[in-house]
Amino acid sequence: MKRRNFLKGICAASAVAATMTPSGLLAKDAPKGGNVLSYDAAVKAITGGKAVADSAKVSLTVPEIAENGAVVPVKVNVESPMTEADHVKAIHVLTTKNGNSRCADVMLTPMNAKGYFATRVKLGGTQDIVALVEMSDGNFLRAAKPVKVTIGGCG
Amino acid sequence: MAEARKSMIKFKPKKFKVGDTIKVDFIVIHPMDTGLKKNKKTGEIKPAHYIDNITFSLDGKPFTTMKVWETVSTNPYFSVNLKVPGKGKVTVDYTDNTGEKNSKSKKLKPKG
Amino acid sequence: MKKTILSLAFLSTMAMLQLNAGEQFAMSDADRAMYKEMLENNPADIYVEEGGELFEKLGDETALAKFLGITEKELPKYIAGFPRYVKKLGNVVGLDQVMQAMEVEQGKKKTKLKSGKMFSMMAYVKSLANDEAINIDLSEPHEKEAYELGKKTYMTARGGRGLACNSCHSKDIVGQVLRTQPLPDLGEVAVAGTWPAYRMTKSSLRTPQRRFQGCMKNALLKVIPIGSKEMIALEVYVATLAQDKNKKISIPGLKR
Repeated sequence: MKRRNFLKGICAASAVAATMTPSGLLAKDAPKGGNVLSYDAAVKAITGGKAVADSAKVSLTVPEIAENGAVVPVKVNVESPMTEADHVKAIHVLTTKNGNSRCADVMLTPMNAKGYFATRVKLGGTQDIVALVEMSDGNFLRAAKPVKVTIGGCG
Repeated sequence: MAEARKSMIKFKPKKFKVGDTIKVDFIVIHPMDTGLKKNKKTGEIKPAHYIDNITFSLDGKPFTTMKVWETVSTNPYFSVNLKVPGKGKVTVDYTDNTGEKNSKSKKLKPKG
Repeated sequence: MKKTILSLAFLSTMAMLQLNAGEQFAMSDADRAMYKEMLENNPADIYVEEGGELFEKLGDETALAKFLGITEKELPKYIAGFPRYVKKLGNVVGLDQVMQAMEVEQGKKKTKLKSGKMFSMMAYVKSLANDEAINIDLSEPHEKEAYELGKKTYMTARGGRGLACNSCHSKDIVGQVLRTQPLPDLGEVAVAGTWPAYRMTKSSLRTPQRRFQGCMKNALLKVIPIGSKEMIALEVYVATLAQDKNKKISIPGLKR
Protein backbone atom coordinates (compact mmCIF):
# COMPACT_ATOMS: atom_id res chain seq x y z
CA MET A 1 0.00 0.00 0.00
CA LYS A 2 1.53 3.33 -0.96
CA ARG A 3 1.53 5.36 2.26
CA ARG A 4 0.99 8.81 0.85
CA ASN A 5 -2.00 7.72 -1.20
CA PHE A 6 -3.84 5.91 1.52
CA LEU A 7 -3.75 8.90 3.83
CA LYS A 8 -5.35 11.02 1.13
CA GLY A 9 -8.05 8.39 0.74
CA ILE A 10 -8.96 8.38 4.42
CA CYS A 11 -9.14 12.07 5.04
CA ALA A 12 -10.72 13.06 1.73
CA ALA A 13 -13.60 15.02 3.19
CA SER A 14 -12.12 15.92 6.52
CA ALA A 15 -9.59 18.58 5.58
CA VAL A 16 -12.07 21.41 6.02
CA ALA A 17 -13.20 20.13 9.39
CA ALA A 18 -11.62 23.01 11.26
CA THR A 19 -14.56 25.31 10.73
CA MET A 20 -17.34 22.78 10.53
CA THR A 21 -19.95 22.61 13.25
CA PRO A 22 -21.09 19.30 14.70
CA SER A 23 -24.63 18.46 13.60
CA GLY A 24 -27.31 19.13 16.14
CA LEU A 25 -25.79 22.31 17.53
CA LEU A 26 -26.07 24.78 14.64
CA ALA A 27 -28.73 27.21 15.77
CA LYS A 28 -30.49 27.52 12.45
CA ASP A 29 -30.73 23.77 11.81
CA ALA A 30 -31.33 22.41 15.28
CA PRO A 31 -34.74 21.98 16.86
CA LYS A 32 -35.24 24.95 19.13
CA GLY A 33 -34.53 24.15 22.76
CA GLY A 34 -36.40 26.23 25.27
CA ASN A 35 -33.41 28.42 26.09
CA VAL A 36 -32.54 30.01 22.76
CA LEU A 37 -31.15 33.49 23.36
CA SER A 38 -28.82 35.41 21.09
CA TYR A 39 -25.67 37.05 22.41
CA ASP A 40 -27.01 40.57 21.95
CA ALA A 41 -30.28 39.72 23.64
CA ALA A 42 -28.45 38.08 26.54
CA VAL A 43 -26.20 41.10 27.05
CA LYS A 44 -29.24 43.38 27.01
CA ALA A 45 -31.04 41.18 29.52
CA ILE A 46 -28.04 41.22 31.84
CA THR A 47 -27.08 44.90 31.57
CA GLY A 48 -30.49 46.40 30.98
CA GLY A 49 -28.93 48.27 28.07
CA LYS A 50 -26.24 49.88 30.21
CA ALA A 51 -22.84 50.57 28.66
CA VAL A 52 -20.23 47.79 28.77
CA ALA A 53 -16.53 48.64 28.74
CA ASP A 54 -13.83 46.30 27.47
CA SER A 55 -11.43 46.17 30.37
CA ALA A 56 -7.92 44.88 30.94
CA LYS A 57 -8.99 44.21 34.53
CA VAL A 58 -10.87 41.19 33.23
CA SER A 59 -8.51 38.45 32.20
CA LEU A 60 -10.11 35.65 30.25
CA THR A 61 -8.16 32.46 29.63
CA VAL A 62 -9.45 30.09 26.96
CA PRO A 63 -7.57 27.85 24.51
CA GLU A 64 -6.76 29.28 21.08
CA ILE A 65 -7.75 25.96 19.57
CA ALA A 66 -10.18 23.66 21.34
CA GLU A 67 -9.36 20.05 20.56
CA ASN A 68 -12.97 19.24 21.23
CA GLY A 69 -15.93 21.63 21.22
CA ALA A 70 -17.77 19.76 23.99
CA VAL A 71 -15.24 20.51 26.72
CA VAL A 72 -13.63 23.96 26.43
CA PRO A 73 -11.90 25.27 29.57
CA VAL A 74 -12.70 28.87 30.59
CA LYS A 75 -11.00 30.84 33.34
CA VAL A 76 -11.96 34.37 34.41
CA ASN A 77 -9.92 36.57 36.75
CA VAL A 78 -11.12 40.05 37.62
CA GLU A 79 -8.80 42.48 39.41
CA SER A 80 -10.76 43.54 42.47
CA PRO A 81 -10.19 44.06 46.21
CA MET A 82 -13.40 42.05 46.79
CA THR A 83 -14.38 44.18 49.77
CA GLU A 84 -17.96 45.01 50.73
CA ALA A 85 -17.49 48.43 49.14
CA ASP A 86 -15.74 47.27 45.97
CA HIS A 87 -16.19 43.77 44.60
CA VAL A 88 -17.22 41.69 41.63
CA LYS A 89 -20.95 41.17 41.91
CA ALA A 90 -21.29 38.70 39.08
CA ILE A 91 -19.35 37.06 36.28
CA HIS A 92 -21.45 36.07 33.28
CA VAL A 93 -19.88 33.62 30.86
CA LEU A 94 -21.35 33.91 27.36
CA THR A 95 -20.65 32.69 23.85
CA THR A 96 -21.34 34.63 20.68
CA LYS A 97 -22.78 31.92 18.40
CA ASN A 98 -24.33 29.15 20.50
CA GLY A 99 -28.16 28.95 20.24
CA ASN A 100 -28.29 29.74 23.93
CA SER A 101 -25.51 32.25 24.37
CA ARG A 102 -25.53 31.98 28.15
CA CYS A 103 -23.30 29.49 29.96
CA ALA A 104 -23.20 30.55 33.60
CA ASP A 105 -24.03 33.50 35.83
CA VAL A 106 -21.81 33.45 38.90
CA MET A 107 -22.75 35.69 41.82
CA LEU A 108 -19.67 36.23 43.99
CA THR A 109 -19.33 37.79 47.46
CA PRO A 110 -16.43 39.25 49.48
CA MET A 111 -16.02 35.80 51.05
CA ASN A 112 -14.53 34.64 47.74
CA ALA A 113 -11.66 37.12 48.25
CA LYS A 114 -10.88 36.94 44.50
CA GLY A 115 -12.85 37.74 41.38
CA TYR A 116 -12.23 34.30 39.94
CA PHE A 117 -14.35 31.63 38.28
CA ALA A 118 -13.52 28.66 36.07
CA THR A 119 -15.61 26.10 34.25
CA ARG A 120 -15.82 24.14 30.99
CA VAL A 121 -18.32 24.97 28.27
CA LYS A 122 -19.68 23.58 25.02
CA LEU A 123 -19.01 25.43 21.80
CA GLY A 124 -21.16 24.67 18.78
CA GLY A 125 -18.39 25.90 16.49
CA THR A 126 -15.65 28.49 16.23
CA GLN A 127 -16.77 31.66 18.07
CA ASP A 128 -15.91 34.05 20.88
CA ILE A 129 -16.21 33.32 24.59
CA VAL A 130 -17.13 36.43 26.55
CA ALA A 131 -16.80 37.28 30.24
CA LEU A 132 -19.31 40.00 31.13
CA VAL A 133 -18.58 41.29 34.62
CA GLU A 134 -20.90 43.28 36.88
CA MET A 135 -19.14 45.28 39.56
CA SER A 136 -20.64 46.36 42.90
CA ASP A 137 -20.71 49.98 41.68
CA GLY A 138 -23.08 48.94 38.90
CA ASN A 139 -20.53 49.15 36.11
CA PHE A 140 -20.16 46.43 33.49
CA LEU A 141 -16.77 45.26 32.21
CA ARG A 142 -16.02 42.79 29.47
CA ALA A 143 -13.32 40.62 27.90
CA ALA A 144 -13.78 38.43 24.83
CA LYS A 145 -11.56 35.88 23.12
CA PRO A 146 -11.99 33.75 19.98
CA VAL A 147 -11.76 29.98 20.18
CA LYS A 148 -11.22 27.83 17.11
CA VAL A 149 -13.09 24.55 17.36
CA THR A 150 -11.63 21.62 15.48
CA ILE A 151 -13.81 18.66 14.72
CA GLY A 152 -12.01 15.55 13.71
CA GLY A 153 -9.67 12.90 14.97
CA CYS A 154 -10.11 9.19 14.71
CA GLY A 155 -12.37 7.19 16.97
CA MET B 1 -29.60 11.07 52.71
CA ALA B 2 -27.39 9.21 50.22
CA GLU B 3 -26.36 11.40 47.31
CA ALA B 4 -28.12 10.37 44.13
CA ARG B 5 -25.37 11.88 42.00
CA LYS B 6 -21.63 11.40 42.18
CA SER B 7 -19.59 14.52 42.80
CA MET B 8 -16.37 15.75 44.35
CA ILE B 9 -15.29 18.85 46.20
CA LYS B 10 -11.56 19.58 46.13
CA PHE B 11 -9.66 22.27 47.99
CA LYS B 12 -6.46 23.57 46.41
CA PRO B 13 -3.93 23.57 47.85
CA LYS B 14 -4.74 20.57 50.06
CA LYS B 15 -2.86 22.08 53.02
CA PHE B 16 -3.76 25.64 54.04
CA LYS B 17 -3.94 27.96 57.03
CA VAL B 18 -6.63 30.25 58.42
CA GLY B 19 -6.58 33.42 56.32
CA ASP B 20 -5.38 31.70 53.15
CA THR B 21 -7.43 32.03 49.98
CA ILE B 22 -7.96 28.60 48.49
CA LYS B 23 -9.65 27.28 45.38
CA VAL B 24 -12.87 25.37 45.89
CA ASP B 25 -13.39 22.99 42.97
CA PHE B 26 -16.62 21.11 42.38
CA ILE B 27 -16.99 18.34 39.78
CA VAL B 28 -20.21 16.45 39.30
CA ILE B 29 -21.34 13.61 37.04
CA HIS B 30 -24.36 14.97 35.17
CA PRO B 31 -25.38 14.57 31.50
CA MET B 32 -26.07 18.30 30.95
CA ASP B 33 -28.26 17.32 27.97
CA THR B 34 -29.12 20.30 25.79
CA GLY B 35 -32.38 18.89 24.50
CA LEU B 36 -30.97 19.10 20.97
CA LYS B 37 -29.37 15.69 20.60
CA LYS B 38 -30.90 12.34 19.72
CA ASN B 39 -30.52 9.11 21.59
CA LYS B 40 -28.44 7.11 19.07
CA LYS B 41 -30.27 3.89 19.85
CA THR B 42 -33.90 5.06 19.87
CA GLY B 43 -33.68 8.06 17.54
CA GLU B 44 -35.67 10.10 20.05
CA ILE B 45 -34.51 13.53 21.14
CA LYS B 46 -32.98 13.38 24.60
CA PRO B 47 -34.88 15.97 26.67
CA ALA B 48 -32.95 18.87 28.17
CA HIS B 49 -31.50 17.74 31.50
CA TYR B 50 -28.98 20.04 33.09
CA ILE B 51 -27.93 21.53 36.41
CA ASP B 52 -29.50 24.96 36.67
CA ASN B 53 -28.67 26.30 40.14
CA ILE B 54 -25.72 25.88 42.47
CA THR B 55 -25.11 27.37 45.90
CA PHE B 56 -21.77 27.17 47.70
CA SER B 57 -22.11 27.71 51.45
CA LEU B 58 -19.79 27.76 54.42
CA ASP B 59 -21.48 26.50 57.60
CA GLY B 60 -24.84 27.34 56.11
CA LYS B 61 -23.86 30.80 54.89
CA PRO B 62 -23.96 31.08 51.07
CA PHE B 63 -20.81 32.63 49.59
CA THR B 64 -21.39 31.97 45.88
CA THR B 65 -24.50 31.25 43.87
CA MET B 66 -24.62 30.24 40.24
CA LYS B 67 -27.21 30.07 37.54
CA VAL B 68 -26.10 27.42 35.07
CA TRP B 69 -27.22 26.61 31.54
CA GLU B 70 -27.17 23.52 29.34
CA THR B 71 -24.23 25.02 27.46
CA VAL B 72 -21.89 24.01 30.26
CA SER B 73 -20.03 20.74 29.53
CA THR B 74 -21.26 17.29 30.53
CA ASN B 75 -19.86 16.16 33.89
CA PRO B 76 -19.19 19.82 34.68
CA TYR B 77 -16.56 21.54 36.72
CA PHE B 78 -16.98 24.79 38.67
CA SER B 79 -14.25 26.62 40.53
CA VAL B 80 -14.24 29.68 42.80
CA ASN B 81 -12.05 31.02 45.59
CA LEU B 82 -12.71 31.12 49.32
CA LYS B 83 -10.80 32.96 52.06
CA VAL B 84 -10.56 30.50 54.94
CA PRO B 85 -12.00 32.04 58.13
CA GLY B 86 -11.43 28.95 60.26
CA LYS B 87 -12.61 25.38 60.63
CA GLY B 88 -15.94 24.69 59.00
CA LYS B 89 -17.90 22.79 56.41
CA VAL B 90 -18.30 23.74 52.77
CA THR B 91 -21.55 22.56 51.21
CA VAL B 92 -22.52 22.63 47.55
CA ASP B 93 -26.27 22.42 46.97
CA TYR B 94 -27.35 21.95 43.36
CA THR B 95 -30.59 21.46 41.52
CA ASP B 96 -31.34 20.59 37.93
CA ASN B 97 -34.14 21.52 35.54
CA THR B 98 -36.13 18.40 36.48
CA GLY B 99 -36.28 19.60 40.06
CA GLU B 100 -33.76 17.04 41.31
CA LYS B 101 -31.94 18.36 44.39
CA ASN B 102 -28.52 17.22 45.56
CA SER B 103 -25.94 18.21 48.07
CA LYS B 104 -22.25 17.53 48.72
CA SER B 105 -20.17 18.62 51.70
CA LYS B 106 -16.54 18.69 52.66
CA LYS B 107 -14.93 19.68 55.94
CA LEU B 108 -12.63 22.68 55.87
CA LYS B 109 -9.63 21.81 58.05
CA PRO B 110 -7.04 24.57 58.11
CA LYS B 111 -3.70 23.73 59.75
CA GLY B 112 -2.80 26.52 62.13
CA MET C 1 22.10 38.81 -1.26
CA LYS C 2 23.38 35.52 0.11
CA LYS C 3 21.72 36.16 3.46
CA THR C 4 18.28 36.70 1.90
CA ILE C 5 18.45 33.49 -0.14
CA LEU C 6 19.56 31.49 2.87
CA SER C 7 16.73 32.74 5.05
CA LEU C 8 14.14 32.16 2.34
CA ALA C 9 15.28 28.57 1.97
CA PHE C 10 15.27 28.17 5.71
CA LEU C 11 11.77 29.60 6.00
CA SER C 12 10.31 27.38 3.32
CA THR C 13 11.90 24.32 4.91
CA MET C 14 10.45 25.28 8.26
CA ALA C 15 7.04 25.85 6.68
CA MET C 16 7.13 22.42 5.08
CA LEU C 17 8.25 20.80 8.31
CA GLN C 18 5.44 22.56 10.12
CA LEU C 19 2.82 21.37 7.67
CA ASN C 20 4.08 17.84 7.96
CA ALA C 21 4.00 18.01 11.74
CA GLY C 22 0.40 19.18 11.72
CA GLU C 23 1.54 22.43 13.28
CA GLN C 24 -1.49 24.36 12.08
CA PHE C 25 -3.68 22.27 14.32
CA ALA C 26 -1.15 21.69 17.08
CA MET C 27 -1.65 23.18 20.49
CA SER C 28 0.26 26.26 21.57
CA ASP C 29 2.18 26.08 24.85
CA ALA C 30 -0.51 28.17 26.53
CA ASP C 31 -3.20 25.78 25.31
CA ARG C 32 -1.17 22.80 26.45
CA ALA C 33 -0.91 24.34 29.91
CA MET C 34 -4.69 24.78 30.08
CA TYR C 35 -5.31 21.16 29.12
CA LYS C 36 -2.70 19.99 31.64
CA GLU C 37 -4.59 21.92 34.32
CA MET C 38 -7.76 20.09 33.37
CA LEU C 39 -6.11 16.88 34.54
CA GLU C 40 -6.40 18.23 38.09
CA ASN C 41 -10.17 18.28 37.72
CA ASN C 42 -10.76 15.17 35.74
CA PRO C 43 -14.33 13.83 35.93
CA ALA C 44 -12.67 10.42 35.72
CA ASP C 45 -11.51 10.97 39.32
CA ILE C 46 -15.09 10.40 40.38
CA TYR C 47 -15.26 7.13 38.44
CA VAL C 48 -11.96 6.04 39.97
CA GLU C 49 -13.40 6.77 43.42
CA GLU C 50 -16.49 4.74 42.50
CA GLY C 51 -14.21 1.94 41.34
CA GLY C 52 -12.49 2.05 44.70
CA GLU C 53 -15.78 1.56 46.49
CA LEU C 54 -16.64 -1.43 44.30
CA PHE C 55 -13.15 -2.86 44.77
CA GLU C 56 -13.52 -2.51 48.52
CA LYS C 57 -16.48 -4.89 48.35
CA LEU C 58 -14.18 -7.47 46.78
CA GLY C 59 -11.77 -7.22 49.67
CA ASP C 60 -9.45 -4.44 48.58
CA GLU C 61 -5.71 -4.71 48.01
CA THR C 62 -5.50 -7.45 50.61
CA ALA C 63 -7.77 -9.78 48.68
CA LEU C 64 -6.15 -8.89 45.35
CA ALA C 65 -2.63 -9.57 46.60
CA LYS C 66 -3.80 -12.87 48.09
CA PHE C 67 -5.51 -13.85 44.83
CA LEU C 68 -2.37 -13.10 42.82
CA GLY C 69 -0.10 -14.83 45.30
CA ILE C 70 2.03 -11.79 46.10
CA THR C 71 2.46 -9.37 49.01
CA GLU C 72 0.52 -6.10 49.19
CA LYS C 73 3.78 -4.21 48.96
CA GLU C 74 4.54 -5.86 45.61
CA LEU C 75 1.13 -4.88 44.19
CA PRO C 76 1.88 -1.49 42.55
CA LYS C 77 4.84 -2.78 40.55
CA TYR C 78 2.98 -5.98 39.70
CA ILE C 79 -0.08 -4.10 38.48
CA ALA C 80 2.18 -2.01 36.23
CA GLY C 81 3.04 -5.24 34.41
CA PHE C 82 -0.51 -5.95 33.19
CA PRO C 83 -1.79 -7.53 30.99
CA ARG C 84 0.12 -10.37 32.56
CA TYR C 85 0.33 -14.11 32.84
CA VAL C 86 -1.56 -15.12 35.98
CA LYS C 87 -0.72 -18.71 36.79
CA LYS C 88 -3.98 -19.23 38.69
CA LEU C 89 -5.93 -18.42 35.54
CA GLY C 90 -3.54 -20.12 33.13
CA ASN C 91 -3.65 -17.17 30.74
CA VAL C 92 -2.31 -13.72 30.03
CA VAL C 93 -5.14 -11.56 31.33
CA GLY C 94 -6.12 -7.97 32.00
CA LEU C 95 -6.91 -6.47 35.40
CA ASP C 96 -10.60 -6.62 34.54
CA GLN C 97 -10.45 -10.37 34.07
CA VAL C 98 -8.71 -10.73 37.42
CA MET C 99 -11.56 -8.77 39.02
CA GLN C 100 -14.07 -11.08 37.39
CA ALA C 101 -12.17 -14.16 38.57
CA MET C 102 -12.18 -12.81 42.11
CA GLU C 103 -15.93 -12.31 41.92
CA VAL C 104 -16.39 -15.90 40.77
CA GLU C 105 -14.11 -17.15 43.54
CA GLN C 106 -16.17 -15.23 46.10
CA GLY C 107 -19.44 -16.59 44.72
CA LYS C 108 -20.46 -13.14 43.56
CA LYS C 109 -22.19 -12.16 40.33
CA LYS C 110 -19.70 -11.49 37.51
CA THR C 111 -19.46 -7.86 36.43
CA LYS C 112 -19.42 -7.67 32.63
CA LEU C 113 -16.06 -6.68 31.15
CA LYS C 114 -17.78 -4.11 28.96
CA SER C 115 -19.60 -2.27 31.75
CA GLY C 116 -19.23 1.08 33.48
CA LYS C 117 -18.69 -0.67 36.81
CA MET C 118 -15.82 -2.76 35.46
CA PHE C 119 -14.21 0.26 33.76
CA SER C 120 -14.34 2.14 37.06
CA MET C 121 -12.90 -0.79 39.04
CA MET C 122 -10.17 -1.33 36.47
CA ALA C 123 -9.26 2.35 36.58
CA TYR C 124 -9.06 2.29 40.37
CA VAL C 125 -6.91 -0.82 40.52
CA LYS C 126 -4.59 0.41 37.77
CA SER C 127 -4.23 3.73 39.61
CA LEU C 128 -2.68 1.82 42.51
CA ALA C 129 0.33 1.51 40.20
CA ASN C 130 0.60 5.26 39.53
CA ASP C 131 4.20 6.42 39.06
CA GLU C 132 5.42 2.86 38.51
CA ALA C 133 7.23 2.17 35.25
CA ILE C 134 5.33 -0.01 32.81
CA ASN C 135 7.06 -3.38 33.10
CA ILE C 136 5.76 -6.11 30.82
CA ASP C 137 7.85 -9.17 31.65
CA LEU C 138 8.87 -10.58 28.28
CA SER C 139 11.07 -13.23 29.90
CA GLU C 140 7.89 -15.05 30.86
CA PRO C 141 7.06 -17.39 27.92
CA HIS C 142 3.26 -16.85 27.91
CA GLU C 143 3.83 -13.09 28.02
CA LYS C 144 6.31 -13.34 25.14
CA GLU C 145 3.76 -15.36 23.18
CA ALA C 146 1.14 -12.67 23.78
CA TYR C 147 3.63 -10.02 22.70
CA GLU C 148 4.26 -11.82 19.41
CA LEU C 149 0.54 -12.25 18.77
CA GLY C 150 -0.01 -8.60 19.65
CA LYS C 151 2.70 -7.46 17.30
CA LYS C 152 1.26 -9.61 14.53
CA THR C 153 -2.22 -8.15 15.17
CA TYR C 154 -0.77 -4.63 15.12
CA MET C 155 0.98 -5.25 11.80
CA THR C 156 -1.76 -7.20 9.99
CA ALA C 157 -3.51 -5.23 7.28
CA ARG C 158 -7.20 -6.05 7.13
CA GLY C 159 -10.64 -4.59 6.49
CA GLY C 160 -12.11 -2.60 3.64
CA ARG C 161 -9.13 -0.25 3.34
CA GLY C 162 -6.41 -2.84 3.96
CA LEU C 163 -5.12 -1.05 7.03
CA ALA C 164 -3.13 -2.21 10.01
CA CYS C 165 -2.52 -0.26 13.26
CA ASN C 166 0.95 0.26 11.89
CA SER C 167 -0.40 1.98 8.79
CA CYS C 168 -1.15 5.10 10.86
CA HIS C 169 1.05 4.64 13.90
CA SER C 170 4.40 3.62 12.40
CA LYS C 171 7.43 5.85 12.99
CA ASP C 172 7.31 7.18 9.41
CA ILE C 173 3.66 8.23 9.53
CA VAL C 174 3.48 9.52 13.09
CA GLY C 175 3.03 13.28 13.20
CA GLN C 176 1.14 13.59 9.95
CA VAL C 177 -2.31 15.09 10.19
CA LEU C 178 -5.36 12.91 9.79
CA ARG C 179 -8.79 14.46 10.29
CA THR C 180 -7.23 17.59 11.83
CA GLN C 181 -5.27 15.68 14.46
CA PRO C 182 -1.59 14.70 14.25
CA LEU C 183 -1.25 10.90 14.41
CA PRO C 184 0.30 9.88 17.71
CA ASP C 185 3.21 7.58 18.49
CA LEU C 186 1.45 5.14 20.80
CA GLY C 187 4.59 4.64 22.86
CA GLU C 188 5.36 8.34 23.22
CA VAL C 189 1.84 9.23 24.34
CA ALA C 190 2.00 6.25 26.67
CA VAL C 191 -1.35 4.74 25.76
CA ALA C 192 -0.65 1.95 28.21
CA GLY C 193 0.16 4.42 30.97
CA THR C 194 -2.65 6.91 30.51
CA TRP C 195 -5.65 4.76 29.70
CA PRO C 196 -8.25 4.24 31.28
CA ALA C 197 -8.92 7.89 30.61
CA TYR C 198 -11.80 10.36 30.48
CA ARG C 199 -12.64 10.95 26.87
CA MET C 200 -14.02 14.44 26.28
CA THR C 201 -15.70 13.48 23.01
CA LYS C 202 -17.53 10.64 24.79
CA SER C 203 -17.93 12.31 28.19
CA SER C 204 -17.05 9.02 29.84
CA LEU C 205 -14.29 6.81 31.18
CA ARG C 206 -12.77 4.65 28.44
CA THR C 207 -10.32 1.75 28.68
CA PRO C 208 -7.44 1.12 26.25
CA GLN C 209 -9.13 -1.87 24.64
CA ARG C 210 -12.27 0.15 24.08
CA ARG C 211 -10.19 2.89 22.49
CA PHE C 212 -8.61 0.34 20.17
CA GLN C 213 -12.12 -0.74 19.19
CA GLY C 214 -13.07 2.85 18.37
CA CYS C 215 -10.03 3.21 16.18
CA MET C 216 -10.74 -0.10 14.44
CA LYS C 217 -14.30 1.03 13.65
CA ASN C 218 -12.95 4.23 12.10
CA ALA C 219 -10.41 2.36 10.02
CA LEU C 220 -13.06 -0.08 8.82
CA LEU C 221 -11.44 -3.02 10.60
CA LYS C 222 -13.65 -5.64 12.17
CA VAL C 223 -13.68 -4.90 15.86
CA ILE C 224 -11.82 -7.39 18.08
CA PRO C 225 -13.79 -8.33 21.25
CA ILE C 226 -12.74 -6.98 24.63
CA GLY C 227 -10.95 -9.58 26.71
CA SER C 228 -10.21 -11.80 23.72
CA LYS C 229 -6.79 -13.36 23.22
CA GLU C 230 -5.94 -10.99 20.35
CA MET C 231 -7.14 -7.86 22.15
CA ILE C 232 -5.12 -8.70 25.28
CA ALA C 233 -2.12 -9.46 23.07
CA LEU C 234 -2.55 -6.11 21.34
CA GLU C 235 -2.62 -4.38 24.70
CA VAL C 236 0.59 -6.18 25.70
CA TYR C 237 2.33 -5.10 22.50
CA VAL C 238 1.19 -1.47 22.80
CA ALA C 239 2.31 -1.48 26.44
CA THR C 240 5.84 -2.45 25.37
CA LEU C 241 5.88 0.55 23.03
CA ALA C 242 5.49 2.78 26.08
CA GLN C 243 7.86 0.63 28.11
CA ASP C 244 10.56 1.17 25.50
CA LYS C 245 10.23 4.89 26.22
CA ASN C 246 10.33 4.39 29.98
CA LYS C 247 6.80 5.59 30.47
CA LYS C 248 5.02 5.40 33.81
CA ILE C 249 1.46 4.70 34.87
CA SER C 250 -0.64 7.83 35.39
CA ILE C 251 -4.30 7.00 35.80
CA PRO C 252 -6.81 8.40 35.04
CA GLY C 253 -5.83 10.20 31.84
CA LEU C 254 -7.76 12.93 30.02
CA LYS C 255 -8.10 12.67 26.27
CA ARG C 256 -9.83 14.38 23.37
